[in-house]
Amino acid sequence: MAHKIKLEEIPLSVVDLGRREGATDVSAALTESRRIMIRFSNNEITVSKLFLDVTLDIFVMVEKHRAATSISTISQRSIERAVKNVVKIAKATPPADVYAPLPQGPFSYDRNLLKAPKIPLDPGTLTAYVESAIKGALEKGAERAAGTLNAHRARMHLATSGDVYASQEISGLEISVRAFMSEFATGHAVSIASRPEDFNPEEAGMRAGEIAKAASNPKPGEPGKYMALLGPLVFADFVNQVGSLSSAFLVDAGQSFLIDKIGLEVASKKFTLIDDPSLVGTLGARAFDDEGVPTRRKSIIEEGVLKTYLHNSLTAKKFGVETTGNAGIIVPHPWNLIVEPGSKSVDDLTSEVDDGIYVTNDWYLRYQNYRTGDFSTIPRDGMFQIKRGEILASIKELRISDNMLRILQNIIDLSIYRTWVRWWEVEIPTLTPYALISELNFTKSRM
Amino acid sequence: MESLVEFAIDSARSMGAEYAEARLQTDLRESIIMKNGVLEASAFEEYRGLGVRVLVNGSLGFASINILRKRNVEGALRRAFRMARLASKLMRREILMGKGDLGNDKVEVKPRVKFADVDLDSRVSLLKEADEQAIAAASARDVRVPARMTSLDTWITEKFIATSDGANIRSVIPRVALFAFITVFHPQKGPVQRYFNLGETGGWEVAERWNLPKLFYEETYALSNILLEAVKPPEGKMDVVLGPEVVGIVSHESCGHPSEADRILGREAAQAGETFLKKDSIGLRVGSPQVNVADDPTLKGSFGFYIYDEEGVKARRRILIKEGVVNEFLHNRETASVFGVESNGASRSVAYNREPIVRMANTFFMPGDYSKEELLEDVRDGIYIKNFMEWNIDDRRFNQRYVGLEAYKIENGELKNLVRNPVLEITTVRLWSAVDAAGKDLEFQAAYCGKGDPMQGIPVWTGGPHIRLRGVKINGA
Repeated sequence: MAHKIKLEEIPLSVVDLGRREGATDVSAALTESRRIMIRFSNNEITVSKLFLDVTLDIFVMVEKHRAATSISTISQRSIERAVKNVVKIAKATPPADVYAPLPQGPFSYDRNLLKAPKIPLDPGTLTAYVESAIKGALEKGAERAAGTLNAHRARMHLATSGDVYASQEISGLEISVRAFMSEFATGHAVSIASRPEDFNPEEAGMRAGEIAKAASNPKPGEPGKYMALLGPLVFADFVNQVGSLSSAFLVDAGQSFLIDKIGLEVASKKFTLIDDPSLVGTLGARAFDDEGVPTRRKSIIEEGVLKTYLHNSLTAKKFGVETTGNAGIIVPHPWNLIVEPGSKSVDDLTSEVDDGIYVTNDWYLRYQNYRTGDFSTIPRDGMFQIKRGEILASIKELRISDNMLRILQNIIDLSIYRTWVRWWEVEIPTLTPYALISELNFTKSRM
Repeated sequence: MESLVEFAIDSARSMGAEYAEARLQTDLRESIIMKNGVLEASAFEEYRGLGVRVLVNGSLGFASINILRKRNVEGALRRAFRMARLASKLMRREILMGKGDLGNDKVEVKPRVKFADVDLDSRVSLLKEADEQAIAAASARDVRVPARMTSLDTWITEKFIATSDGANIRSVIPRVALFAFITVFHPQKGPVQRYFNLGETGGWEVAERWNLPKLFYEETYALSNILLEAVKPPEGKMDVVLGPEVVGIVSHESCGHPSEADRILGREAAQAGETFLKKDSIGLRVGSPQVNVADDPTLKGSFGFYIYDEEGVKARRRILIKEGVVNEFLHNRETASVFGVESNGASRSVAYNREPIVRMANTFFMPGDYSKEELLEDVRDGIYIKNFMEWNIDDRRFNQRYVGLEAYKIENGELKNLVRNPVLEITTVRLWSAVDAAGKDLEFQAAYCGKGDPMQGIPVWTGGPHIRLRGVKINGA
């Protein structure tokens, strides 16, 4: 290992050392990241945060024996110690049930995906974003706004014993705004973008403000089964559940309602869910996964039929299929979820509802049973009655208590309009329409 | 390395910060993950870095860095300082650091059995034996247990915290944690699932004391019984006895979270939300006189254990609800200054690169006088909910739902058949007001409480005795 460490060269030297120590397979990913977060509430900034991190993740196999390590102390001595230690631990670890060598490269990657757009990280610009979001919310009638602005740039250098050596840039701008008319009348909206020109904090603030204003003076809702219009934040949360639980690792662990359903109709024909990390200029764009495999667009669910689980090379070997380029060294995961649009405007979807409920946001989704998909979640922010095709009274105090597979089957239609969502409750960037769902079950707390 | 803490504080003060606080934190963690009897991987992590907070013109800045060179630390500080100063122009109210009992101390929890003395084989063997016992229990009831997922973590957190106004705390805390997720299945009955966490402060002796093989057998056997025997629960208004696991989550969700002073001030409004309690809610009746809920970081061996918080303030027991009345909120120094009180040491952070915020530690319903049998004997027609799977609560912490997993019908004071998924969907005040008696037992469960942005999953205990609710509505799932 070189005496003076250049960060981008560390992964290669880790792979070399790991092999010399006796590992059959080694991957090493070094990530340098710079993130600025500005949090605000009651129309003022509560804290400004700067995160400067360099982390090194190492995974080794001695055939079926696996071990992993992550360190944040980047010095020649600490890296050498970590590599020797992780190989030693792998050798002492009982064998796993399958061995799949790390995928053999070198691979060619889409050069456009290796670079990320430049985003501003100067405090002046970022503070101005926050001001414009608050201004947008207040202009639409909200009394106060709270939220988070996130700006980040990162560079990941990956080397593997499969002749992979590549660097990937990642960047993004995200704002999440919650507007308040009162403690019961709130609205939430987000703007997320990889390119600064796609980022619109003021519009997010305005949308949050509009919902908050419309949600004024909510009345208790009545529990029951309703046709429901789910706004993008809610539907993105549900879609994240489907995308994340399509991970083969979680299926194998019993933590997924998609178990034993490949090739079966799990959703309405209107529903097609794609994982597409190859979309240049989006937040979840990636050129390669954590094993160095080039990422690709894939349908998880196509016109209602479950097409694939998400795999890395180990889960793929176990399931007898090819990797989908979704490593996660241990747990495969989606990168960038896309729901194909429907054929109707949001107004047309609304007009189909005779007696229903429009939900703009939700939080706290918990399962009674991951394998059956029974769960509940709490609508928050604006929730409205729909009568004879018109969005009317603001309502509160209801909970969605249903089953994820039933909801997917009950998708009546989706909007043409789609928007990108990621926030505190929605981890994977998701391009989602509004969704019209039949027979959605709402329950309520008893006083 | 520790000199960087002093360097950061001196640098911040020389830049003009009114207040500075620096925390050098190292987390060393070893984990093994076993899925369906196969070890997926063993892992170790070493995260070390410096987190610094500065107060500039009444505006708060935070910076974290893990390249621990003076030049880099100073650069990060300058940026945090500039950001805070710029933000101060948007501030209407200056942030101040309120009073607190600042410490100058060293806290070290010494393990009886050091993690370094426990080889990988012993750890793996323990999980393997537990996994085999889960299979044996299911087999004894003639059901399958097709999915088992377990992780066992040991980790040591070392901190050195100093503040510009004199706090100086060193601590070393070892912890052991276990997560288990079990699915039992019968072709005619379908699947039933449960997950649970164990967690304590201490050395490997903790994992030995847990007797995991016995626990996995009992848990899987009980789950199999639910799968085979549980029937639709009765519905309607009835008396309900809640077990300590349910009482713990209720205390955490419906008392601990609403009592966080930063939520009351709206600081978490866009993420974890606000609370139905207001700044002037001290003295407000929210439950029956039998309701007493405390949060106590100083419980020896607890998962949420600490003696000094991240601001160097000495921690103490907080009585959040006393005899049904709101008694005290959870404070850090920032919220304490707004409320005109002293910090009660509730400032916590999960890693060097996370901002300290107001958190719970070990939140529990304080025991009463009744035995479990006495609680049951006075119920003519009701339900006993021992544990739960699904739960959630609205972001004002008022409208909540707990779906029982192991639950029994009570008839004339006796436990009868298992019932499947009884739903308690109720408001906070209605729930606390329905409590007419509390048991003298006390049990704790480990959990990771989620709050903050970026998210901080922080170790806590939740707990309590058995309690009895009179006349609450139960639904079927």
